[in-house]
Amino acid sequence: MTDTDMALRVEGYSLAYDVKGGQARVLNGIDLSIRRGEILGLVGESGSGKSSMASAIMRHLAGNARENDGRIWLGGTDLRAQTERQMSDIRGRRVSMVFQDPATSLNPTLRLGEQLAEVLVRHRGLTPRQAWAEGEARLAHVGLKTPREMMARMPHEMSGGEKQRVVIATAFACNPELIIFDEPTTALDVITARQILDLFAGLQQETGVASLYISHDLALLSQTADRVAVLQKGVIVEQGETAGLFRTPQHDYTKALIAAAPQPDRRLVTPLDTTRAPLVSVRDVTVNYGRKSLLDTLLRRDYAPVVGSRAVTLELRPGEVLGIVGESGSGKSTLAKAMTGLNRFDGLIDFDGRPVTGLSDMDSAYRRDVQIIFQHPDASLNPRQRIAEILARPLRLYGRGQGDPRARIAAMLERVRLPASYVDRYPHQLSGGEKQRIAIARAFLSNPRLVICDEITSALDVSVQASVIELLMELHRDTGAAYVFITHDINLVRQIAHRIAVMYRGDLVEIADAERIADPDRAPYTRQLLEAVTPPASARLATTPQD
Amino acid sequence: MSASYILKRIALIFYTLFIVSILVFGITQILPADAAVMMLGENATDEALEALRQQMGLNDPIWAQYLHWATGVVQGDFGTSLRTGQPVGPALFSALGTSLTLAVLALAVMLVLAIPMGILAAVRRGRAADLVVGFVSYIGVSLPEFVTATLAVVVVADIWGLLPPAGYVPLAEDFWGGLQRLILPVSVASIMMIAHVSRMVRSELVDVMHTDYIRAARLKGLTPRRVLIRHGLRNALLPTITIVALDVGYLLGGIIVVEEIFSIPGIGRALMSAIQSRDLPVIQAGVMIMAATYSIVNFAADLMYAWLDKRIQYD
Amino acid sequence: MTDFLRRLLRSPQGALGCLIVGLILVAVVFGSYLTPYGPEDMQPLARYKDPSAAHWLGTDQYGRDILSRLLDGARSTVVMAVAATVIGTLGGAILGTGSAYLGGRADEFIMRTNDAVMAIPSLLMALMVVSLLGSNSANALLAIAIAFMPSMARISRSVALTVRKQDYVSAAIARGEGAAYIVLREMLPNVIAPIVVEMTIRVSFAVMLFATLSFLGLGAQPPATDWGLMVSEARQYLHRSYWILMWPSAAIALTAIGFNLLGDGLRDALNPRT
Repeated sequence: MTDTDMALRVEGYSLAYDVKGGQARVLNGIDLSIRRGEILGLVGESGSGKSSMASAIMRHLAGNARENDGRIWLGGTDLRAQTERQMSDIRGRRVSMVFQDPATSLNPTLRLGEQLAEVLVRHRGLTPRQAWAEGEARLAHVGLKTPREMMARMPHEMSGGEKQRVVIATAFACNPELIIFDEPTTALDVITARQILDLFAGLQQETGVASLYISHDLALLSQTADRVAVLQKGVIVEQGETAGLFRTPQHDYTKALIAAAPQPDRRLVTPLDTTRAPLVSVRDVTVNYGRKSLLDTLLRRDYAPVVGSRAVTLELRPGEVLGIVGESGSGKSTLAKAMTGLNRFDGLIDFDGRPVTGLSDMDSAYRRDVQIIFQHPDASLNPRQRIAEILARPLRLYGRGQGDPRARIAAMLERVRLPASYVDRYPHQLSGGEKQRIAIARAFLSNPRLVICDEITSALDVSVQASVIELLMELHRDTGAAYVFITHDINLVRQIAHRIAVMYRGDLVEIADAERIADPDRAPYTRQLLEAVTPPASARLATTPQD
Repeated sequence: MSASYILKRIALIFYTLFIVSILVFGITQILPADAAVMMLGENATDEALEALRQQMGLNDPIWAQYLHWATGVVQGDFGTSLRTGQPVGPALFSALGTSLTLAVLALAVMLVLAIPMGILAAVRRGRAADLVVGFVSYIGVSLPEFVTATLAVVVVADIWGLLPPAGYVPLAEDFWGGLQRLILPVSVASIMMIAHVSRMVRSELVDVMHTDYIRAARLKGLTPRRVLIRHGLRNALLPTITIVALDVGYLLGGIIVVEEIFSIPGIGRALMSAIQSRDLPVIQAGVMIMAATYSIVNFAADLMYAWLDKRIQYD
Repeated sequence: MTDFLRRLLRSPQGALGCLIVGLILVAVVFGSYLTPYGPEDMQPLARYKDPSAAHWLGTDQYGRDILSRLLDGARSTVVMAVAATVIGTLGGAILGTGSAYLGGRADEFIMRTNDAVMAIPSLLMALMVVSLLGSNSANALLAIAIAFMPSMARISRSVALTVRKQDYVSAAIARGEGAAYIVLREMLPNVIAPIVVEMTIRVSFAVMLFATLSFLGLGAQPPATDWGLMVSEARQYLHRSYWILMWPSAAIALTAIGFNLLGDGLRDALNPRT
């Protein structure tokens, strides 16, 4: 193999950041290469250094970065030897990048057309007028229906998927040798993400561009990449052809990552006793946002409230795990907030025979029985309270159970597998997974009968997520509490839920048994959602051998 | 930006003026000053005073006096000065013209200096230029106008003898002479705002330059110049519009001191002497005019912001 | 607490601000013991003296020792400014957080009215209040406190609204905590930090406003040692000595710079996540 076959070669590359009292090593002896037309997947958890690798290739490193060793070749060009001026000619023309969140990677105050055309003007020497025309063609090429109109739009006037298409069109605009994709679908909803992946596959096939596809999602890489490199704490622990790597992973970390990915057919929940009377029944619960303004009243205008969720009816048996799935804005969190008294609602919630029609009906007993855990532990734990105070509150409020509060807190910390010494810490001294365990401990200290989990694992890394889920299911077995588990991760919810409710734009589409969610007679939207989900790697590769 | 937003915003100006009018009328009513005594002097007979009070409506209930005054204001009649016996409106509006000349020049000087200073500091963050700008702005926000004005008069006018220490000549009469006399007042009035706005521009621009879309623009291979000007400045300067508009309130306060020290016959000086002599109609009118100026400037700034930033959806 | 101090002193602004404000506080507390001369001791034979070993900062038009007057004036000027700021902040914070707590129409009404009052420049507001109550230091204090209230109300309202939207407050509501606990234990500690920062920076503004009122003859009255008044009086004797003017001006500027720096330092140090 000659050098010219290689789009990218990284040889023995090491990177560190200057920090107080020395250097923090981020990347150590990285060896990577991508052939022309090849897709290399780079997988790693947060802090693994995968984003630093992208910055290093783009030569866009922070001021305190120290490159200790190694070379980076783009084709025959030694990138580390390029001046900043030479690099700016290379970026966007020979190597370009697609970012995670199109909402933040597009300039909010410039027309999309300008953000696309400026690259063509800069690198291909087109006049602005030519670039605009070429831009329109490019937008049509990435599957946008009305390219002329799209060119003139501002980013906030488009959906996330449309924006990401524009970003992709920009990355492909100068036919680069290499494109770096940095988690390009993570910020998107399931169905949109699938469409973007299909678009990527099509364009990649057509142009034969080499791609470095960075992701935390092994399943996704097993579908998209030709080869995969596994990055752990700045070291590539394993690298190989996708199929082989998934079928016979060599390194323990790779094995752990594959095992941590949720697999729908590996059920983590025992069948439910369906004869018992429902614990909760939600009847026709509707939540509206917004308020009629004074001007509307004065002008006698019609006022259209924003609907959060519309006439939702569902039931939950004691000890049942009900999954709720849907894209952002589907009303799944709104329902959680209504059930915990954080939103006004119309309708009825019947909890164990007690009717609840509004906030005033939620007495201390209801509050104790119904607990909620939020997505971001950073936000749900008060930064100025020690863990001791955070965990003491439910005990003081409800006082259920007996024994010394300190002993109970210590016991609960042990149960969520945290050291008892953490009581003296502040939340910011804990890692993300540890913080979420504190939030779980707080919810279970009141011995609840219903726990609402609102996307509680989506801010966590795959391996951390797996251990949090394991803890949650263990608590489920021990306490017999019912769960409402809100998530966008359909593989995960199929693993742990008895039944799954699908929501779409405020409406409850249907509720089905978790085992039956993939049946062909499901509602069209459910089928669409399920089709968009990437099946876990091990399951697919084991059943359909490929090379 | 819809018509109803503009309508709402205009209604807000009137509400502001209504509240200010109540406030200023209330305060001036409690002031221990008897308008009749002021007009006729201490030696006037009780009968004469009583007759005048009757004639001026001073014996009416307060709400009736307010209504009478407010009706006049709406029709452009601000009453007559207790001290001079002249109508308040025309005198104050000509003073306002003088003050606005001063204020607009100060704003212009501020914009011309503060924005480049802020940009320079942000671009050269952590380097000498940034430290110098930061140091200068710390000093700037820490010097009250009366100190800078006094120092300026001492150094520039007295010691160096470069410029006249005080006085005012309308630009229309003697452009160069007038301008010479305006240099010191304009500089003094703008210092505090230069310091404040340059700091704001710097911190906004530093924040913007750390956003994802700036990184994306750099990684598209755009020239640093285009990244800064087309992508960075546009977003960084938008919030500055609001900050400058709010600072106009501060400028109007500063102008009172500046006009007092440099003997400029503007609305600030008129207000100052009215407050000292308790000339109620002049105080009332002066405060109303200042509040109206501030409201209109902020209204204009909001419109400009909405026009430049298409993201904001007003209802 | 020691951790907090270490963080405060780590930043150059915090360290410098602490130093300057510390020196000023020493002058405020021990000023009257440190003065070499009485602030009103006149020495007719030693008028308009330049700085010397006997009079470190020189003497003024009546032969009074400027250093002694400055140290004496520190108390009135700084204590008054701090007191005015604290009163203004408290008033504004109660109004702002109360408005945020009420929410809906009441909130809109209160804040619109508050904004309307902000259309009157604070100096003008202070001037009106002083002329209403009479020119002396106590009234000037009240005037400045009142002039600060609307903007502090606006700031504390926006801070309170931000904190109110945090999940930990939602968690407390969902848990069924009482309003008192939510406001005092969940919200207040998080609301206070940014307000303290704003308040510190405001002290420098209050020092200047105070001095300006005295300068305009509406604050402290002669022979008080208020720094603004000293500048005002010194203007007539400029042709004899610049020092009379320079020292109080420098004192005002230094105090304002000190509190500005301290505020910026506090902003970084009070952020729990850095």
